[in-house]
Amino acid sequence: MAVFDTPEEAFGVLRPVCVQLTKAQTVENVEHLQTQLQSVSDSALQELQQYILFPLRFTLKTPGPKRERLIQSVVECLTFVLSSTCVKEQELLQELFSELSACLYSPKSQKPAAVSEELKLAVIRGLSTLMHSAYGDIIVTFYEPSILPRLGFAVSLLLGLAEQEKSKQIKTAALKCLQVLLLQCDCQDHPRSLDELEQKQLGDLFASFLPGISTALTRIITGDFKQGHSIVVSSLNVFYKTVSFIMADEQLKRISKVQAESTVEHRVAKLMVHREADWVKSTGGKLTILIKKIIECVSVHPHWKVRLELIELVETLLLKCSQSLVESAGPLLKALVGLVNDESPEVQAQCNQVLRHFAGQKVVVGNRAFADILSENLHSLATSLPRLMNSQDDQGKVSSLSLLLGYLKLLGPKVNFVLNSVVHLQRLSKALVQVLELDVTDIKIVEERRWNTDHLSASPKTSAMRPWSQVQRRYFRFFTDERVFLLLQQVCQLLGFYGNLYLLVDHFMGLYHESVFYRKQAAMILNELVIGAAGLDVEDLHEKHIKTSPEELREIVTSILEEYTSQENWYLVTCIKTEEMREELTLKQPGFQAITSGAHNTCQATSLPAFSKPSPTICSMNSNIWQICIQLEGVGHFAYSLGEDFRLLLMSVLYPVLEKAGDRTLLISQAATNSMMDICHACGYDSLQHLINQNSDYLVNGISLNLRHLSLHPHTPKVLEVMLRNSDASLLPLVADVVQDVLATLDQFYDKRASSFISVLHALLVALAQWFPDTNHVGQPQEHTAEKEESHLNQRILENNATTAEDIEYFLLSYLKEKDVADGNVSDFYNEEEQSKPPEVDEKDTGPDVEPPLPVQIQIATDVMERCIHLLSDKSLKIRLKVLDVLDLCVFVLQSHKNQLLPLAHRAWPSIVQRLTNDDPLAVLRAFQVLRTLGGKCGDFLRSRFCKDVLPKLTGSLVTQAPVSARTGQVYSHTLAFKLQLAVLQGLGPLCEKLDLGEGDLNKVADACLIYLSAKQPMKLQEAARSVFLHLMKVDPDSTWFLLNELYCPEQLTPPHPSLHQVQLRGAMGQQNPYKANVLCLLQELP
Amino acid sequence: MEHTQRTEVTAPLPSMAAPPPPSPDPQFVLRGTQSAVHALHFHSGAQGQGCPLLFSGSQNGLVHIWSLQTRRVLTTLDNHGGQCVTWLQTLPQGHQLLSQGQDLRLCLWDLTEGRNAVVDFVHLESMGFCRGSTLAMGQQRWTLAVPGKGTDEVQILEMPSKTSVCTLKPEADAKPGMPMCLELWQADSSSRPLLLVGYEDGSVALWDISQRKVCSRVACHTEPVMSLDFDSQKTRGVSGSAEKALAVWSLDEQQALQVCRTHEITNPGIADVKIRPDHRILATAGWDHRIRVFHWRTMKPLAVLAFHSAAIHCVAFANDGLLAAGSKDQRISVWSLYTQT
Repeated sequence: MAVFDTPEEAFGVLRPVCVQLTKAQTVENVEHLQTQLQSVSDSALQELQQYILFPLRFTLKTPGPKRERLIQSVVECLTFVLSSTCVKEQELLQELFSELSACLYSPKSQKPAAVSEELKLAVIRGLSTLMHSAYGDIIVTFYEPSILPRLGFAVSLLLGLAEQEKSKQIKTAALKCLQVLLLQCDCQDHPRSLDELEQKQLGDLFASFLPGISTALTRIITGDFKQGHSIVVSSLNVFYKTVSFIMADEQLKRISKVQAESTVEHRVAKLMVHREADWVKSTGGKLTILIKKIIECVSVHPHWKVRLELIELVETLLLKCSQSLVESAGPLLKALVGLVNDESPEVQAQCNQVLRHFAGQKVVVGNRAFADILSENLHSLATSLPRLMNSQDDQGKVSSLSLLLGYLKLLGPKVNFVLNSVVHLQRLSKALVQVLELDVTDIKIVEERRWNTDHLSASPKTSAMRPWSQVQRRYFRFFTDERVFLLLQQVCQLLGFYGNLYLLVDHFMGLYHESVFYRKQAAMILNELVIGAAGLDVEDLHEKHIKTSPEELREIVTSILEEYTSQENWYLVTCIKTEEMREELTLKQPGFQAITSGAHNTCQATSLPAFSKPSPTICSMNSNIWQICIQLEGVGHFAYSLGEDFRLLLMSVLYPVLEKAGDRTLLISQAATNSMMDICHACGYDSLQHLINQNSDYLVNGISLNLRHLSLHPHTPKVLEVMLRNSDASLLPLVADVVQDVLATLDQFYDKRASSFISVLHALLVALAQWFPDTNHVGQPQEHTAEKEESHLNQRILENNATTAEDIEYFLLSYLKEKDVADGNVSDFYNEEEQSKPPEVDEKDTGPDVEPPLPVQIQIATDVMERCIHLLSDKSLKIRLKVLDVLDLCVFVLQSHKNQLLPLAHRAWPSIVQRLTNDDPLAVLRAFQVLRTLGGKCGDFLRSRFCKDVLPKLTGSLVTQAPVSARTGQVYSHTLAFKLQLAVLQGLGPLCEKLDLGEGDLNKVADACLIYLSAKQPMKLQEAARSVFLHLMKVDPDSTWFLLNELYCPEQLTPPHPSLHQVQLRGAMGQQNPYKANVLCLLQELP
Repeated sequence: MEHTQRTEVTAPLPSMAAPPPPSPDPQFVLRGTQSAVHALHFHSGAQGQGCPLLFSGSQNGLVHIWSLQTRRVLTTLDNHGGQCVTWLQTLPQGHQLLSQGQDLRLCLWDLTEGRNAVVDFVHLESMGFCRGSTLAMGQQRWTLAVPGKGTDEVQILEMPSKTSVCTLKPEADAKPGMPMCLELWQADSSSRPLLLVGYEDGSVALWDISQRKVCSRVACHTEPVMSLDFDSQKTRGVSGSAEKALAVWSLDEQQALQVCRTHEITNPGIADVKIRPDHRILATAGWDHRIRVFHWRTMKPLAVLAFHSAAIHCVAFANDGLLAAGSKDQRISVWSLYTQT
């Protein structure tokens, strides 16, 4: 399509069309004109503007009813022209404005005409374009007072459209147009910004519309959520732009008291508003009502963009109209603060940015009025908070708490004004304590038990994340939403960060003491306060805020921890006491003070009622469990807050925490382990073992002091046990005296506490055995292997099929010689060697009379073994078993110190014999184990005694019991007799091997056990008997072979050399032989 | 012997009504000397800088420096050839420590800024267990009293020059035996240094050093005096010996010693006796494993502290009132008692 650049060309083209339109005003003609206009350049169009506009305006002005379609197309055409040209004449602008506005006016109804939506849209766009096309200064002169009625008409028209139309498009366009009309358009097309004077004039002019605009917009904003968020967003936009323009502090402060002589006619002058102080005040008041309405509605608007716009509104109004709208500041701040924790990240970010901006600009803190308003708000919120927490649902709680959080953030250090008021602090704390109440009715809390004891292997996670981010799940009475808890945490942390920590800690400590009902909540709050005070996770909006110094913080933490770990708060009843505890109870009440002579006064007072309560309810136990968990969590928090500084507190804290790590209640032991992890993290230990190992001196201190009051600290041995398990030999010098204390205490309480002490001794000796592996006995096994090799050699000779007579002769000779040696006819060779040994030993001795002091571990093992001798005959089987284990370990540790071991073994012997011959099968087995170890270390000493005291009884009972067990059925395996038989059979084999018994005794054993190889015996006994023979084979394969063959001979033996006799063994060959299966099995094992 | 000891009933505090308070626990226990502890000395550290320290000397010749803040050994000093360290004392000027050992050496350590070097030592001529005593004589000078060459002599040295001032030898007919404990002091009113000596025969003598003569001597015990301490404000002193009694004696204006009273205790043997710096209470180290605490003015027994499992060799008070006791059981117990002053 051709473009007509020059006005002449364009005129040539357009003239007929315009004439045509003037003659016949039809839609077609208008459209024809518009089509032609497309081909005219902008500059040409500008020249011909008036000419082209004429037929169009003429069409509009022609009296009489017109078709809507025509008007619409005329308006559209007009809009097209205006969009490409500028209006340079004031008069034209005014006339066009009036003509366009009039299109939607029906004189009859005094209301916007009921015209089609398309027309409305066209007119709105036309108006908008018109205002944009106004050239330079004429736009300013346009807004003179005389235009007021016409402008007012347009404004109300647009408001009406925005409010009442159904079409979203029209609504949006009307709002947009309104914005343009009020010169608040944010597009780039406007030629210049207004100077102060012009702004003031415009403000004066627009002030007349303020009531209308603000109320109408408020109606739109607070309308149905369903109208779409964009309408609300634009309305909010127009609202705050208009209000902030008219009510701007900048403009208002220049308004003179007296109204200037107006030059306008009286009718218009009446419409004008003079914005002096009174007007500002009353308008501010009215606006506040509207603003409150808006905030109330918009802050819970489901669409985030609306809430975002609200932030914009708050920011603009607070920044521009802080004086004129001072009454609204409260609600505005509240709205802002309430959005701090909005669910939409965009809103949150924007809100935080605004808050930071405010804080940075000292908008709030620097402004007395604002600070007062905020304090006021916080006051009133604090006052209503307990009620709100009580009555609101989770969502309500979230918003109330968000609000609280926001106030705290905004007030920063000024929060102390509120906290310093006792009443308000009480209100605030009451609300927090109330809402944090835990649900303690769940029975699982008490029920869950920890069974595995070796949980300490866990090492702290390497992630840089806060280690305790996985907090134990808590159940609260008044809310279930996790967000509420998170908010509460943040609130407490902020309080700790900005507030006076001494004051707060003091207050909540008071609550902690006041009642059991507050205790858990107060502890939770205290934990968070300290985290906050350390300022590790708090985003500081007030840069110059002075934090609590590390020394002060440590002091505070120390005092809190002292309280947490005190007797009455740390040692709570968490499970129904077992009989053991009940015993204590009866023991304690009459002579309580006499026994616990060292207890502190307070302990006695508080622990007595705690213990004497017949049976605590599940709720109270749950509550106690939670309290301990929270306090443990607190320890972790404090460690996190103090970092390396926490090391100094370990001396008093580590012991109680470790004690709880061994608690039987799952939750408590978990919490304690977590807390130890936190300590590891904070203080730079790689693992729990490392932590325990490096601080064993502190632990030992706690253990030794608590051992003095064992009835108050029944778990002390457990801690010692855990420590021993996690330490190395370097611990021994520290722990030596504690071990002596333990033994001394054990001597005092043989009957009551033996079991817990025995497990300590067990742990101790396991540790000793591990730390001091004996180097001396390495020689012994070598001897054994040498012997074995020799016997192997012999056997190889035997096996060899191609045996010669010489071989046999040699074998016999050497056999005889060996037998001679074994029987004691020793050659000189051996004697010499024996004699040469003793002098060597003498040389090593430093002094003949001075015995070097025993190593600590030997001394300890000796002392422990001493106690074991006494405890071997304890009433309780459990203890006897444990003692046998400890005894076994003692023997192992003492193996290279025969001077200590032998006398003790001598004294222990009678008791061991009792265990072997007269005790429960389990004890018999363990006793065999001890004998085995003992046999390995001091075989000579033991052999004769064993053969004399034990063996006859054992073999005798085996023989007499054999016919009984052979006859009985399935049930027999559940009897004690069976178990005993089994134990003896299982124990005998290894022992015979270890003790290196003589031939005669071996035969006794073999004879007694042979019967049990019978298929008639119960399977288990047969197996056990087989194991005896397997061991016997190792000691004396030949005689065992012979013995077995005597029972059952599987094959005819062929002599190795024809010159020898045929041998016939007694063992019957028949299939019916009851020993067949076992003997065959054993013979296969024989090499 | 240990099982024949009689136990005592703890006496109530004068200020508190019945029921009697139970025997308290030590505040904490220091372990790790791995040898019997024979000497203890607190060092509060200069104002504001550094944490308070406790020095301990043990049988195996080591001196341990404990931090009371962390309750751990900071440093170990070893210069006594494995021989028992019997006496430890810091000098008023700066970080200097004296340690006396049975290797016949008295070492002067420089501990400034974490150093631990022997800067000087005095050769001693007497073996015994008699501990030395010091007295500040001016900015840099101080007087030292140590057992002398002859069995009954006391040597006075001027330090740090180590010049011998004099040797105090009892008159020939006195025969008090070996000096067992020494205490140098100076009355506020005069500049003359005085020396209290507890002798083997159970007597306590007051020497005037400048005149080199005994001012007064009084028989307090029938057994050797093991330890004494003197309160120069009240001009009263207390001594403990191997027998079952404590003796309290006073000094009148004529500088004459008089036994005021003796206090019977249950088991014999007081290894060490110390008056707290605030002159309110007194602590003794008992061979019977117990620490006894008395009211110093009235000598009323306040507490019997049972914790150790072997004889206690030494007690020491810190300026803030903390009490430490070192025992043959290789432990050092630290107690906080009656701190309300």
